[in-house]
Amino acid sequence: MCGIIGFLDKQSDGTSPVGNTVLTMLNALACRGPDSAGVALYTGSSNGHTVLRVKLGENGDFAGRRESIAERIQGLGTILDSSTTEEYLRLELDFQGDPKELSALIETEADNVEVVSMGNALEIVKQVGSPENLEQTHGVSRITGTHGIGHTRLSTESRVDLSHSQPFWAHGMPDLAVVHNGHITNYHKLRMLYEQHGVRFYTDNDSEVIGVYLADRLSQGMSLQEALTASLDDLDGSFSYLAATRNELGFAKDRFALKPLLFTETDETVVVATEEIAIENAFPGIGGVREAQAKEVQVWRLN
Amino acid sequence: MAVELDCTGKSIREINTGIKKHIANGEKEVLVRNPGARHNLGVALLEPSTVTFDGSVGYFCGGLMDGATVEVNGSTGWGLAESMLSGTVIVHGSAGNGAAATIRGGTVVIHKHAAARAGVAMKGGLLLIGGNCGYMAGFMGQRGTIVVCGDVGEAFADSMYETVCYVGGKVEDLGNDAVVEEVSAEDISFLEAIIADHLPDRLAELRPRLANFKKIESGRRLWNFDKTDWDVWQQVV
Repeated sequence: MCGIIGFLDKQSDGTSPVGNTVLTMLNALACRGPDSAGVALYTGSSNGHTVLRVKLGENGDFAGRRESIAERIQGLGTILDSSTTEEYLRLELDFQGDPKELSALIETEADNVEVVSMGNALEIVKQVGSPENLEQTHGVSRITGTHGIGHTRLSTESRVDLSHSQPFWAHGMPDLAVVHNGHITNYHKLRMLYEQHGVRFYTDNDSEVIGVYLADRLSQGMSLQEALTASLDDLDGSFSYLAATRNELGFAKDRFALKPLLFTETDETVVVATEEIAIENAFPGIGGVREAQAKEVQVWRLN
Repeated sequence: MAVELDCTGKSIREINTGIKKHIANGEKEVLVRNPGARHNLGVALLEPSTVTFDGSVGYFCGGLMDGATVEVNGSTGWGLAESMLSGTVIVHGSAGNGAAATIRGGTVVIHKHAAARAGVAMKGGLLLIGGNCGYMAGFMGQRGTIVVCGDVGEAFADSMYETVCYVGGKVEDLGNDAVVEEVSAEDISFLEAIIADHLPDRLAELRPRLANFKKIESGRRLWNFDKTDWDVWQQVV
């Protein structure tokens, strides 16, 4: 049992209160996932800068690592801004190169250093604990943008730590993030196939493979709609998941409709959540809420 | 005039106890404000009365009910009216998975859509859906009636006993041992009567289409079968 939510402001100029909306929805689902909470927010900044959120490790000399990482990436791009909150390093770069090369270079710093998100708009913040804790540490509600997704986790199979929390960035594919409620039963098979092609997995969480799968399909030229539809056949098990790119928000639900997911749409907004209680918390009386059917896929784009 | 109860700041238990207290005090109508899509509201109502939720509710609303009327001015989550014995549940929006599952009697009306597994294992009663319904509706239905004015999803009416289903729209895929029959004049007057009763706003639109509704029942092939009959195994597995 986990809670997932998504919000998209169709007409957004990039200054919608996405952080606050996503957090308000997530707070209502805190009881579905007490282990960890996280959000992937699309900040809508169009300055072309690349923003990275890097986990510097579990504990230790974060300041030293921050300096060392800055030195490592000097040759690839210019650091325009750099800040640290707890174990997170946030970097804003003028960078035009290969995202995989950049994240690999940063991750050579240490085994437990991970690029949690990268993109022109995407910023992922996640940690062990409740959505309330997430707000206290990172001030998520102050972040503005165009759309966002969020997750509260009840771990069933894998460890409870920052890296195993969701949302997952699809490593290597800028701005692609996923949140998942359910269980991917052909995870080990898919993981083995991707590992044979050199893909690195950062966790033992089955949900991570969804991001890897979508990144693979999108890089083959599929649209998000096509990739989500293809996943209905290629992923086994129970799933309702949300995927977001720089200008899209979408969901897919498994063929047996084993996991809840509801949504509603108005002229201005799209709201998706595991339970309507989350929608009511942020948009009281919005109406028109419907549970997604088995094998249903929807994708919405920013105008 | 209905007595009002506001859910704001109250626990589920306080809300449900509040509803039951009003009914025990002889109130015939209870209007519940700000239900906030919370779960387990209006469960096990055993006295004749009308409880109206002025907004969406969560899981199991109207479950285990005997004789009351529950009206929801919004959507509902999973397990609407589950195992109801008698009474009426009316939802003006859509319902989540497992609506009217295992009801033994009474009427469940969903004005918009129902998600997966609507009306599974019904032992009686009527489930009327104004819009579409999802995957595996009517599975193992023993008695009662399911009427869907719109389309139905995959595996519709799978492995049924004596539930009778009517579908106004497209059937994506019939379940095991489900067979389509012509509607009779009697069926049409039955459909017309229940739509006039429960979805009067839709009657003018639906009346000309009633003769095209599909009637779906069990082919009774799975009721008793020879375990060495390979054809049956191939069909169901």
